[in-house]
Amino acid sequence: MTSSSGRPPSAAVARGAVIAAALSLPGVAPAQSVPEGAQIGFKYLHYQDSQPGLDRITVESPSLYLLAPFAQRWSLEASLVVDSVSGATPRWHSSISSATRMQDHRTAGDLRVTRYFRRAAVDVGFAYSTEDDYQSRAASVNLRLSSDDNNTTIAVGTGLTDDTMNPNPGSVLAHEESRRVNEFIVGLTQVLSANDIVQANLSHVRGRGYYSDPYKFLDHRPRARNQNALLLRWNRHIAAAGASLRSSYRFYDDDFGITAHTVGLEWAQSLRGITLTPALRYTTQSAASFYVDPLPGSPVPPLVSADPPYYSVDHRLSAFGAITVGLKVALPLGRSWLLDAKVDVYEQRGQWRIGGEGSPGLAPFRAQFYQLGATYRF
Amino acid sequence: MRDSPTMIRSLARLAACACILALGGCATVQPWEKGNLARPEMQFDGDPLLSRFEQHIYFSKEGASGGYGVGGGGCGCN
Repeated sequence: MTSSSGRPPSAAVARGAVIAAALSLPGVAPAQSVPEGAQIGFKYLHYQDSQPGLDRITVESPSLYLLAPFAQRWSLEASLVVDSVSGATPRWHSSISSATRMQDHRTAGDLRVTRYFRRAAVDVGFAYSTEDDYQSRAASVNLRLSSDDNNTTIAVGTGLTDDTMNPNPGSVLAHEESRRVNEFIVGLTQVLSANDIVQANLSHVRGRGYYSDPYKFLDHRPRARNQNALLLRWNRHIAAAGASLRSSYRFYDDDFGITAHTVGLEWAQSLRGITLTPALRYTTQSAASFYVDPLPGSPVPPLVSADPPYYSVDHRLSAFGAITVGLKVALPLGRSWLLDAKVDVYEQRGQWRIGGEGSPGLAPFRAQFYQLGATYRF
Repeated sequence: MRDSPTMIRSLARLAACACILALGGCATVQPWEKGNLARPEMQFDGDPLLSRFEQHIYFSKEGASGGYGVGGGGCGCN
């Protein structure tokens, strides 16, 4: 047996132990290996969004993460997050006069158990979240299979989500509503070279039930939504620069009439033990067929959409382009600790849409968020 | 369902391109050559809490979502 570089096996054995350990790190393709050690992480998010003249939603969100191998061929992964959400949101478009204040707490947790085989892994996961007016329960199963050389991995997964929505002050809901969503995903991960790995995921989501926003003016959305997404990702290590480039592209399409393209680029630069990662994201989306533009000179929107009886004046379903610029710093401390911090700035504007006209009459929507984290490996 | 045949055709074309892209030009990489692939910054989901936060933020503020995995659950934020 010779390697592609023609090195005899004996030279490889010297590095074998290090590589074997590295391959068992969580998340390393093909992810059929049990994580070698356990990991506990904490991360805090502060999020604030706004439009000119109005501070909107503030979110404070501590979260915890645990990854632990057990019984030789198993691992457990769990996370918990508590969001404190407060602030003002327009009832239609960017209308400051219609903005209503809200406050809510959301607790969400998820758990995944994985069983590893020689060239395969199966996992089962559960997620639960609860807030004043919304509860969500989800279950999922994934299967991953790798080729003999561990360079190719195929993954298939399916999930089921059951959500319930309750009446709440400010909401037009008179009784409880619900929604059931089925998800399917198939993915291919391929090692292309010693420095390149790519992934392609195709997902299909079918949902039935309540999709409207009960806090938005006259909001009435179809009771079914079918969504498709194709995500392509490529990670490339550039040894000469001491950096890695992570690129991604996602195509999205659904039967609300929304088509979106999202590109992301991250450059992870090693600098004297610290990793500095500037990041750029751009997305462009079309409007939902039932999204209604503001009427110039009118204090209230038109009362009918181009796709009756459906209707929405939620700017998140409008046509826009949005840019995120971010910077992450990661600092290892000793053998066990990793500290990280990330700052992101986001802006959404109709004029920034590529591939068509952006929706008119909306104020630029901005958000800033930072994340502070610490991870301990043991 | 609106535009279903066009959508399916576009998706099929994109999926084919993705497969070709993924499999074209790949050589057999040996385990001892995978040191760089094992780096934390070379992982697709190297920071699970960050991924959860960011996917939640974009799900809440935009019309598009998905492609990363299944079973994450919903929220009243969207």
